[in-house]
Amino acid sequence: MKLFGSTFQVLENSMNYASQKNQTITNNIANVDTPNFKSKDVVFKDVLANEVNNSLETKRTNEKHIPFSSYRGKSYKVVTNSNTTYNHNGNNVDMDKEMSDLAKNQIYYQALVDRLNGKFRSLQSVLKGGQ
Amino acid sequence: MGIFNSLNASASALTAQRLRMDVVSSNLANAETTRASQTEDGQWQPYRRKTVTFQPNGQSFQSHLQTAMGSSTDSAQGVEVTDIKEDPEPFNMMYNPNHPDANDDGYVAMPNVDPLKEMVDLMSATRSYEANVTAMNANKSMLMKALEIGR
Repeated sequence: MKLFGSTFQVLENSMNYASQKNQTITNNIANVDTPNFKSKDVVFKDVLANEVNNSLETKRTNEKHIPFSSYRGKSYKVVTNSNTTYNHNGNNVDMDKEMSDLAKNQIYYQALVDRLNGKFRSLQSVLKGGQ
Repeated sequence: MGIFNSLNASASALTAQRLRMDVVSSNLANAETTRASQTEDGQWQPYRRKTVTFQPNGQSFQSHLQTAMGSSTDSAQGVEVTDIKEDPEPFNMMYNPNHPDANDDGYVAMPNVDPLKEMVDLMSATRSYEANVTAMNANKSMLMKALEIGR
């Protein structure tokens, strides 16, 4: 039996996702007045499984050629919402959505940290024999 | 993925919005300035309204290539000010024959500053600034929370 199980890995992946999402939201908010800026979003890759399976594989004839693969083992992906325009200057950052996403993501992250700590505490309790 | 990326992005936006507020202030302060610059023949030119141009940070070829190759997570990069442009709109002509800068017909060229526009711009900049401060605080509390892991 593995001591840590898959809980930690799942939590770690989720925290990476939340952290990336936070960066993306921050970037969107920073660029709210930038002309022609299109907002970005982070999505779990499971949703895009088809896209990953259909990704292009290229044949490399030389070691120094640039590898061409979109899948890099991450569980999330950054996408750009380029098909809408929310503002006269081509910008499509929806401030209300970004701010609520920011709050949501913050709480999500804190919940993950709490869960991680809870896991550590229960492990500790086991190691100490319940004392 | 640097942990301070988001904070840096917010900081760049704060700087940009503050510069925008500075430019608006300058426009408002010079709304009546008829002697901002001089042409070669010694004629006084009124003040021209200035506007700030924004651009997302990291628009270099290198960063685009890295994003395309997937080696850089398309992370927060913030915003940068590329240019402070002058508004090409014509000056407002005001009839005031007693003014020292009046032309032969008695009209004075006044700056093309519209205080109403400036106030709207100022409020927009203030709100964006506040939003970025909120984002920055959210980031900060997330980082502080991360430090509690395993405590």
